[in-house]
Amino acid sequence: MSMTDSTEPVPVRSGAVSLILADSRFPGGGHVHSGGLEEAVERGLIHGTADLRPFLAGRLRATGELTAVFAAAAAHAAARGVTRRHWAVLDSEFDARTPSAAQREASRAQGRGTARAASAGWPSPVLRELLAETPRPHHPVILGVITGMSGGRPVDAASTAAYLAVSGPASAAVRLLGLDPLAVNGIVANLSRALDDVAGRAAAVAGDDPRDLPAPGAPALDLLAEAQLRHHKEEVRLFAS
Amino acid sequence: MKATAHLTAEFDPVTGRTVLRRLRSMAPLTLLPKRGAGDVALVHLVNSATAPLGGDELALHVRVGPGARLRLSGVAATLALPGQRGGAGTMAVHAEVAEGGRLDYLPEPTVVTARARHHALLTAELAADARLRTREVLVLGRDGERPGELTTAMHVTRGEVPVLRQELTIGDALLDGSSAYLAGRRVLGTEVVVAGSDGAVEPVSGQWWSLTPLPAGGALATVLAEDAVTAERELAEAVSHHPAPIG
Amino acid sequence: MPAEPDHDDHDGHDHGGHGHGHVHPVNFDPTAAEPDPFDAAPEGGRACRIGIGGPVGSGKTALTAALCRTLGEELNLAVVTNDIYTTEDADYLRKAGVLDPSRIEAVQTGACPHTAIRDDITANLDAVDELEERFPGLDLVIIESGGDNLTAVFSRGLVDSQVFVVDVAGGDKVPRKGGPGVTTADLLVINKIDIAHLVGADMDVMTSDAHRMRGELPVITQSLVDTPGAPAVSDWVRSLLPITTA
Repeated sequence: MSMTDSTEPVPVRSGAVSLILADSRFPGGGHVHSGGLEEAVERGLIHGTADLRPFLAGRLRATGELTAVFAAAAAHAAARGVTRRHWAVLDSEFDARTPSAAQREASRAQGRGTARAASAGWPSPVLRELLAETPRPHHPVILGVITGMSGGRPVDAASTAAYLAVSGPASAAVRLLGLDPLAVNGIVANLSRALDDVAGRAAAVAGDDPRDLPAPGAPALDLLAEAQLRHHKEEVRLFAS
Repeated sequence: MKATAHLTAEFDPVTGRTVLRRLRSMAPLTLLPKRGAGDVALVHLVNSATAPLGGDELALHVRVGPGARLRLSGVAATLALPGQRGGAGTMAVHAEVAEGGRLDYLPEPTVVTARARHHALLTAELAADARLRTREVLVLGRDGERPGELTTAMHVTRGEVPVLRQELTIGDALLDGSSAYLAGRRVLGTEVVVAGSDGAVEPVSGQWWSLTPLPAGGALATVLAEDAVTAERELAEAVSHHPAPIG
Repeated sequence: MPAEPDHDDHDGHDHGGHGHGHVHPVNFDPTAAEPDPFDAAPEGGRACRIGIGGPVGSGKTALTAALCRTLGEELNLAVVTNDIYTTEDADYLRKAGVLDPSRIEAVQTGACPHTAIRDDITANLDAVDELEERFPGLDLVIIESGGDNLTAVFSRGLVDSQVFVVDVAGGDKVPRKGGPGVTTADLLVINKIDIAHLVGADMDVMTSDAHRMRGELPVITQSLVDTPGAPAVSDWVRSLLPITTA
C-alpha cells in the first residue's frame, strides 16, 4: 500500500474504491444500522415489499441526498487539498443538518467504524488530519475523504453514500421481515436512476462553500430514529438505529 | 406582488422596556403593535390580502437589539394559494438578534392549497447569547384537498456556528406518502428553541413527536400529525420538556 | 448481510509464506509512523480480550457470570454482551450482582450475531474502546456472543482467545459434528455435566470425540451447579494473563 500525499495530484480513479466502500461486507459497522427501518417495522408501517419501496425511495431523497452531498463535498475537498479546519467546518455543517441526536450518533458510529477500517486500508496524511480534527467523523464525510484521496470523483463518493442510505435498510428489511431478497434487490435496482440523479445533483455542488450546501431534512426518519433509541431502553431492538 | 416589511425592536434602558424603533408594513404584510406584557414588545403579523399568492415576493426583516425582547405572532392561518400566472411565491423572513436579545416568531399554520407553489425561507442570525423561538406548522391542503407544493428552508446561525439548517418539501407525492418522510400524515410541525440552558436538553419523544438537542446549542421539536390542533398540542408537549422557561 | 465464508483461516499458521510478499514503503518521517494495522496481537497495556461463544442455551451467560464472580475481585474486568435481546444479558449480569453495571456494555448485532463477532466487529470494538476509556488499566474484557450455531467463531481481530461452550443437553454428538467452534476454539467447555444422565448424554463419548476433533487444544467439562465459580475455566483464563506477545 503506497502512501498518498495531499500535495501530489492523485490520478483520477473511480470504481474500485467505491465498490469496496459500498460492499455490504465492508467491515465498517453498517450492518447494525437499519436507518429507521426497525422502528418502522415495529410500528406496523412496513409489512412487506409494497411498503418497503416508498420507504426506501423517501429515504434516498432525504437522507440519501444529504449524505451524498456531504460525501461529494468531502471527496472534492480531499482531492483539492484543504486546511485541517475545513474538516471541522464540514462536520459542524453536517451536524446542523442532522437535528436528530440519534441520527447524529448513528452517523458518527458508522463514521468511526469506517475510520477504523480506513486506518488499516487507506492510511494517508489526509485521513490523519481528518481524524485528528474529528475523531468520530460523520459517515458521509469519511466516505468522501477515502474516495477523494484514492482518486475517486465526488460523484463516486456521492453514489456510495446514496447507495448505502438504501442498501442498509433494505438488508435490514430482509433480516427483520424475512422478505424475499430477490424482490428487495429488485426494489433497490429500480432505484438505480434515482440514485444516479441524487449523486449527480450532489456532485454538482461538491465544490460549494459548505454553508451553502443543500440541507434536506427527513421528519419521519428523525422521529423514527429518536423512538428507536428510546425503545432500546425498554424493549427488544436488534439494530442500533 | 412584491413587498418588504421592516421591524426593529430595541431595549430602552430608561424605561427598562423594549420599544419598536422601526415598524414599516407593506401590503400584504401588515405589522400591528400590541400592548406587550412586561418588558416584551408584542407585534402581530397580519396578512392583509389573500397572501401569499403564486408570484408574490414577500420579505420581512426583523432586528432585535441588545437586551430587547420581541414577540411576533400570527393571528390567523395563512393560505398559500396558486397565483394567476402559476409562478411560485416566496416569503422570506430574515431575523437578527443581538446580544441578550430574544425573538419569538410564532406565525399561525400555513395551509398549502391545491396547485399552490410556495417557498418559505427563514434565516436567523443570533449573537452568542441571543435567544430564539420559532415555529412552523404546515398543513397539506384544506380538508380533503391534495396539497400544492411548498418548500421551506430554515437556517439558524450563532456567530459563525450553524445551529440548524433544514429544508423540507411538502406536496411531493413520493415524499408525502413515504414512511421515511411525512408518513402520509397531513401536518408537519417544527419548533426551534435556542435558549440559555440548551446544554441540559435531553432527547425526549413520543410516537409522532420529539424534542432533540441540536449539536451547537438549541433544540428542535418535530411533530407529524393528522391535524393542526394535534400538531400544536404535541409541539407544546415537546417544548414543555425544554428546561429553559419558554412561554 | 455477509454470506458465510467457506472457512476462515483462524489458526494463524503460516502457509508457506503466503501473505508475506508485500513491499512495505520505508518512511523516515517519524510523525508518519503508523502502528501496524494488521497486527491482531494484543499490545502491551491493553486488556486481554476473551470471547465466549456457543449455541443458544449452552450456558454462555452463566459462565460469564461465574467468571465475573470468581475473577472480579482479582482482576480489573469488564463484559461486552452480544445477546440479541438488547440489554437482557447485561440485565441478567447486573441482577446477579456480579459486576458493576457500568462495566457491562451491550451491543446490537443487526439480527446477525455471528457477523458482529466475526465479519464486521465494529460494534464490539466500539464497546471495548468505550470500556477501556471508562476503566483505564482493564486487565480483561469478556466478550459474550449471541447464541448462534456451531460455525460461529470470533474474529482474531476482536479477541485474543476464545472459549466455545456446548452443553450435554445439546446431544452427545455435538463434539463429533465439529465445526469451527468445536475444532478451533482455544478452549472447549462442555457444560451442564450434572444433567448428563438425565438427557442420556454419554460423557465419555463427548470428551473423547472432543479431544479427537481438537488435537492438542484443551477441553474442560464442568457443571456450574456443582462448581458455581467455574474454577477450571477461571484457571485457564488466569493462565492467559498477563499477555505475552508471541
